[in-house]
Amino acid sequence: MSQLFGPRANTIGRIVLASILVLPVAALALHVLLMNSPYVTGQTNTPEQPVPFSHKHHVTEDGIDCRYCHFDVEKSAVAGVPPTQVCMSCHAHLWTNAAMLEPVRASYATGVPLRWRQANRLPGYVYFDHSIHIAKGIGCTTCHGPVGQMPLIYQARKLSMGWCISCHRDPGRFVRKPSQIFAAEWSPDDDPAQIRRLLSQYLISTKHLTDCSTCHR
Amino acid sequence: MPSLSRRDALHLLASSVAATMASCTQPTNEIIPYVNMPERLIPGEPLKFATSVALAGYGRGTIGITYEGRPTKLEGNPLHPASLGGSDVFMEADILDLYDPARSRAPRGPSMVNSWDEFLQAFEAARAHAVGNGGFRLRVLSGRITSPTFVRLWQALARGFPAARWHRYEPVDDDSETQGLKLAFSRPMLARPRISDANVVLCLGADPLGPGPEQPALARAFSTRRNSEKPGGMLRLYACESAWTLTGANADHRLVLAPAAICDFALAVAARLGADDGSSPSLAFKKEVEAVSDDLLAHRGHAMVLAGRTQPPELHALAAWMNARLGAPIDYIEPVDTVPGTHAGSLAALEHDLESGAVDALVIIGANPAYDRGVEFSHMIGRARLSAHMGLYADETARACRWHLPMSHILESWSDIRGPDGTASIVQPLIMPLYDSRTPEALLALVTGNRSPRDYDLVRQTWNRGGNGDFESWWRGAVERGVIEGTGAKPVTVSAPSLPQVKPAGPGRLVVTTGPDPSIWDGRYANNAWLQECPKPFTMEVWGNAIEVSPEDAKEFGIADSKYARLTCGLAVVDAPVRIRSGQAKGVVAVTLGYGRVAAGPIGDGVGFNAWPLWARRNEPVSLSPIDSGPATHTTFGHAVLDEADDKLFPRFTLAELAKLRRPITRPESSEPTLLHTPQPDDGYAWAMVIDNGLCIGCNACVVSCMAENNVPVVGPDEIDRHRDMHWLRVDTYQSGEAAGLRIGFEPVPCMHCEDAPCEPVCPVEASIHDTEGLNVQVYNRCIGTRFCESNCPYKVRRFNWFDYAGYQAYADMNAGTISAQRNPDVTVRARGVMEKCTYCVQRITRARRGAEREKRMIRDGEVVTACQAACPTGAISFGNRDDKHSHVVAQKSRGQHFALLASLGTRPRTTYLAHVSNPNPVWDKTS
Repeated sequence: MSQLFGPRANTIGRIVLASILVLPVAALALHVLLMNSPYVTGQTNTPEQPVPFSHKHHVTEDGIDCRYCHFDVEKSAVAGVPPTQVCMSCHAHLWTNAAMLEPVRASYATGVPLRWRQANRLPGYVYFDHSIHIAKGIGCTTCHGPVGQMPLIYQARKLSMGWCISCHRDPGRFVRKPSQIFAAEWSPDDDPAQIRRLLSQYLISTKHLTDCSTCHR
Repeated sequence: MPSLSRRDALHLLASSVAATMASCTQPTNEIIPYVNMPERLIPGEPLKFATSVALAGYGRGTIGITYEGRPTKLEGNPLHPASLGGSDVFMEADILDLYDPARSRAPRGPSMVNSWDEFLQAFEAARAHAVGNGGFRLRVLSGRITSPTFVRLWQALARGFPAARWHRYEPVDDDSETQGLKLAFSRPMLARPRISDANVVLCLGADPLGPGPEQPALARAFSTRRNSEKPGGMLRLYACESAWTLTGANADHRLVLAPAAICDFALAVAARLGADDGSSPSLAFKKEVEAVSDDLLAHRGHAMVLAGRTQPPELHALAAWMNARLGAPIDYIEPVDTVPGTHAGSLAALEHDLESGAVDALVIIGANPAYDRGVEFSHMIGRARLSAHMGLYADETARACRWHLPMSHILESWSDIRGPDGTASIVQPLIMPLYDSRTPEALLALVTGNRSPRDYDLVRQTWNRGGNGDFESWWRGAVERGVIEGTGAKPVTVSAPSLPQVKPAGPGRLVVTTGPDPSIWDGRYANNAWLQECPKPFTMEVWGNAIEVSPEDAKEFGIADSKYARLTCGLAVVDAPVRIRSGQAKGVVAVTLGYGRVAAGPIGDGVGFNAWPLWARRNEPVSLSPIDSGPATHTTFGHAVLDEADDKLFPRFTLAELAKLRRPITRPESSEPTLLHTPQPDDGYAWAMVIDNGLCIGCNACVVSCMAENNVPVVGPDEIDRHRDMHWLRVDTYQSGEAAGLRIGFEPVPCMHCEDAPCEPVCPVEASIHDTEGLNVQVYNRCIGTRFCESNCPYKVRRFNWFDYAGYQAYADMNAGTISAQRNPDVTVRARGVMEKCTYCVQRITRARRGAEREKRMIRDGEVVTACQAACPTGAISFGNRDDKHSHVVAQKSRGQHFALLASLGTRPRTTYLAHVSNPNPVWDKTS
């Protein structure tokens, strides 16, 4: 009668034992990596647009304020994409024959709206409100990233719930002075007293901020 | 088809795999901005516009809430005298009719698909043919139309076609009242009771609190006089009725009388008021008659007698005489609709003309006589050379006509309309017409030669007649307010009414009483799924109607054990389910109208039975016999009318008992001691609701309003039978007493938002959880559908979405594109497998909070108005911040009759109640 376990059995046994320890950890790590990967979060997602609109050009090079185009951002839940009319308020005079702007002129002439692709997308069950974030001192670039450096708009942040909650738990790191809210460049204030002053100035209390009903209904 | 080759099969397989792989990417959403943005519009923020909707031809002012030009919700316009800020089920549900995918979309004619031009050619041909034969005998048949623009255009049309006639009939007419007042004052009149000025009201079969165009306004007036904190000012309501009405349920004293006995009772009261008619009044209710008449006489100038819609004209005349004796606070006005004569007479004249072949063209606008007057009428329609029907739906009458023309919904129209008191308002559209439809006014303009009428211009021409000063600013003001001040009918001074001869009703063992249905009115709302699924007061019946009989009659006619009966009245035979109702008069069979439609649309077809043949024979003898089978009935979960077994569920007080009460039945939950952790709000808000059972009249406006606001789906009759209704708010019905002494009370039950909520500890995934302001929230994305919370909820207010009811379900019209346009964008449309329930309209709270915080202030008391609260015509629901000691809700919670439902469970509900308080006549109990 031959041996029940051959010489390879030891190796197999070691591999199995190691796998019992390693596999769950690896699976968990893979899951975390995957869920945080741009494939799932859509981070760096740069959709193709009907007109290759450059925020970099308009914001940084031309110095146009965010609110010239996104004029409802302080009043409404949605920032709003400008009507063709707003594009034409300049481009009726500038670059009037540029081939790149043909879809804009066509839209204005025919009344058929441009169809932009959404870059920063939240799930339907999240009721995000731009106006209240602005009113509470959260600047555009905190969530949208360096829009002023973007030749084409892309999703700069993860926009996952964990990412939202990290700020809702501790908004002090992100509140800005009113004058800085629409600034293209901003770095957090390190002075705790200044942060406390801003938090009380904006009447921010964090307890309600992590209620489910704050964002979901 | 040639058989698939191996190569083709592999191609298909490969491409399907490729397609599957490609679909694994995230979908890209599009953002489609305006080209030219409308003025004042802010995407994502609602805009409100004042307009009016109609019931039975009367306008009721409404505020339409729109998102990016898409109306989603209607609320009452506080400035309009017919709504006063409240609404009713019909106003709430009108928005669903607008989006009904069954609405007709294009004119239909001899070749099925036709155009408006083709109809006009046919009309011109009929006119040309008739003019050669001496006059174009055009007949227009409509329901009640009070639009001044329509009247103006009709007059212009009548000048062009002198032989044209306008007939109007409203299926549920007010002929009895106008004829009765004609008896009393020698000319037709309408009575406008000022209930807010009354101390004592006697209703003789009248149902002022019941469904109808005036329900919101009358209920509001009633509620202003039912405040127990002003004891001297609390109104006392007596009701004599044959079958249950909302007025009877809310009356301090209810007398159950057959129709004939109501007449006798009225005569006896009149005799006590001084009518010396020599007849000896019935002695059956001598003590009650004395108590009522003494009470009426003691409140001269503040007492009134109201006669019901289906009572004979003589009784209305007698009521007018009594009111004159009492100096009752009633105004008399000329009838608001301009077509003279009775509804029945107007229709009969048309029928005569049709029979004799004296009609060249018949145009039916908005009415459906082929349904409510029966097939006899549809045969008559064929006698006209040209027949056309204009309506929202291609209904029974459209089928009988050669032409059908789609009518614009009132929310798509520029028009004008008068309320029940004559007050005119401009109707402005909330949305462009969805289909190739026109307004009735535009139709009149079309056939009189205006080939491209704009309804906007037609309305403006009506009002731009000089005398308005600067017309543009006048017009803007009138449109903005939704009401034109000073256009209400002026009360006319009337001569002393003559005392009529009231013939005692003929003997009849069993008579039938009919009336409009509380859910679908006369049948015009049959295709409205919200209303079909709105539980009727008392019976909680949905998706159908039933023959209602008293227990004594059921026994006598052998139908006590039968589910179905055959009702025979002359030639009319109706087979229907039977419901045995305590507290209904012996010898009376009650049915509601509006069901049994055959061409209502996919929602309304074949639901219930058609009781219209009985309408013309109301108060006539009928016979009843048991049968074996018939259509099924459906009632919502919790339908069993609950007994007031213990006073914890539905306590009742009289004013005298309330005065003796030392402290509240249940103290406000904030002052109750507890060892358990309770949420402590950090930002100063603790939301709470108080519902006044004494003011709830059971009208269901809150139920339908909640459906509209919160995207609550309908489930259909089959699911109702499995107790799977989805209403976030229900109105429970409690009864106490027996037979004639039966009392019924209403108690709306939304989520209680318990501070120690039993639903929360049993949820394995924390989907049922508290927020810091005391809201018991349901997190749909966490919910895995165990339904433990539903089992553990003592109030049974949680609803489980079994089958994606809002999506692919027949009774939700398979989520047709137009239906999804109605959805409130601020509220999730819940998917399958998720528990849901009342949220205290959290979307309205957060909207108010964001508004307040943008302005760096607290939310003001009264700034958050929940959908149910906004709808309630009596203001029975108050909502606010319990931590604000000056808020209305705190004041309500500290009243003596304050109680919590099932307080002994220790759930500390945030939704609490005020017990029912009545104002009985102290003499009454001694007499009976």
